[in-house]
Amino acid sequence: MKNISRKVLFGTLFCLGMIWVPNLTSAEEDTAAMKARIEALEKELAEVKALLKEQIQQSATKEEVQAVKKDVVEKVQAVKKDVEVAKTEQAEWKTYDSTVHLAGYGAVGYTNDDPMNDRFNQVQFNPIFHYLFKDLILLESELELAIEDDGATEIVLEYLTIDWFMNDYMALVGGKFLSPLGQFRQNLHPAWINKLPSAPSGFGHDQAAPVADVGLQLRGGFPIGNPMYANYALFVTNGPELELNMAGDEIEAVETAGVVSNEDENFLFGGRIGFLPIPSLEIGASAAFGDVALEDESDRDYEAWGFDTHWWWRNLDIFGEYIQQEVGSLASSVAPDEQEWEAWYVQASYKLLPTKFEVVARYSDYDSTHADQEQEQWALGLNYLFAPNAIAKFAYEFNDGLDGEPTDDDRLFIQLTYGF
Amino acid sequence: MIKPRYKVILTIYGLVFGFALYPGLVKADDNTKNGDIARGSQEWANNCARCHNMRDPKEFRDDLWRPIVNHMRVRAGLTGQQTRDILAFLQSSNYTVVAAAVEGDTTRTESSGLSGEQIYKQTCVACHGADGKGAIPGVPDLRTRLSKSDETLLQSIKNGFQSPGSPMAMPPKGGNPNLTDADLEAVLSYIRQAFK
Repeated sequence: MKNISRKVLFGTLFCLGMIWVPNLTSAEEDTAAMKARIEALEKELAEVKALLKEQIQQSATKEEVQAVKKDVVEKVQAVKKDVEVAKTEQAEWKTYDSTVHLAGYGAVGYTNDDPMNDRFNQVQFNPIFHYLFKDLILLESELELAIEDDGATEIVLEYLTIDWFMNDYMALVGGKFLSPLGQFRQNLHPAWINKLPSAPSGFGHDQAAPVADVGLQLRGGFPIGNPMYANYALFVTNGPELELNMAGDEIEAVETAGVVSNEDENFLFGGRIGFLPIPSLEIGASAAFGDVALEDESDRDYEAWGFDTHWWWRNLDIFGEYIQQEVGSLASSVAPDEQEWEAWYVQASYKLLPTKFEVVARYSDYDSTHADQEQEQWALGLNYLFAPNAIAKFAYEFNDGLDGEPTDDDRLFIQLTYGF
Repeated sequence: MIKPRYKVILTIYGLVFGFALYPGLVKADDNTKNGDIARGSQEWANNCARCHNMRDPKEFRDDLWRPIVNHMRVRAGLTGQQTRDILAFLQSSNYTVVAAAVEGDTTRTESSGLSGEQIYKQTCVACHGADGKGAIPGVPDLRTRLSKSDETLLQSIKNGFQSPGSPMAMPPKGGNPNLTDADLEAVLSYIRQAFK
């Protein structure tokens, strides 16, 4: 019985032991888990603290950024304000009724004649003034200041006109203006535009091509139909004056420098029409009619005719022009004979792009009833373009005139010109 | 007593004067009081080289170009509309990239609605020519430039470009600041297709 009880007791204890031991293992695990959780929480807390610290630091950086941004905005606003002021000033200038502009050109040059006669003979300055009132009235004037052989400075009013833009197709031009007959004298003679240092034979002062006159002119252009277009100039002026030779028995030249007197009380009427069938081709025709008279003599006829053309294609430019002036005969005059001056030229130039060089060739011929004035000329040139308006020119003229006359001398030119 | 030939001349003067006083008789194409940049680029290319070497639009400020073009109007026998168009082109072509940035113009990306061909024929053709070979001295043949990347070419178009040996630089956007980035891409696409 006792053994049975002991067995029961041991059995019971064994069972209880079996029940208790697992419970003991579970508690240890709970403790470890709790410990781990605490550690994890502590870690998370540390991380949160770190994050908080970082956030605090970040919020501080943002403030700094805000400060910088504010500074930038203030500076941008200041710049914008400056720009607005500048724009306002510019707008004031733009809307100002009168605008002034100074243009012009200058040239210096060296010439060597044949036989040897070399000198630095060109020092020339041509300021051009533009005064524009709205888009209605333009005053434009060119002076020519040049040093003469004796060192004196010659000042010439090349032109001074007041131009009234009457409508889109016409401007009324009054004053002294370059002769609208042909192209060379009115548009191509400025040193920075002329491809050669000299004018074509017959297109200089007191030769075949009229230079300037004083009076009124109507100028403008009108479309004929895309792309055709025409331009025109009609004028009435005081007209030319006649110059006698030394003997006083022949009219030696027609002076067309532009005078404000009109002693013979005759006006000159004339004009030019230019036609552009395509934009790169211009064909012009010019004419002028009037009477002229020597002092205390009767009137005699005066006529001028001209044709001009210009064609260009990419780097190639070709100009051609013909001009003629004629003074009629008058039996009762001290210089009774009819006189005629005639000149023409053809010029080709080619830009050797992409270099800055340009080659030019020109043939010109000047015929006159005075043999000592006549000249046939070939001119060859090489230009170096520092810029389209700053050019160094090297040219040589082969001249054929009356033996012993300056018109027969060949000439070498070097010229530096700048248009502004 | 007026001689018969002077009567003829005076009659011609009268007719011309009367013609001018009634400008409605003249049928001007697209005649407006405002200058047009695209027409102006063509008129500039057509007319300025009639007498002298082409001058760079950037040589003068906007206000200075006004008396200059009016002077040229008298010299070259231009119409008022041609003058205004040329002025608009010159004033837009001296527009610098810096100025564009201040105006906030460089951020525009939307298309103007024009095709690349239309943009080319309005803005580029005056200098580059219908065949892309160059219409005025110093403008290179576009075909010699197309080996460059789109990015390079777009930068050249956008900011302007000085070709070696050319007397003047192409102005930014060909002188038309109204062109957007999309327009520039369209015109480059047309150039690549038309002049390959």
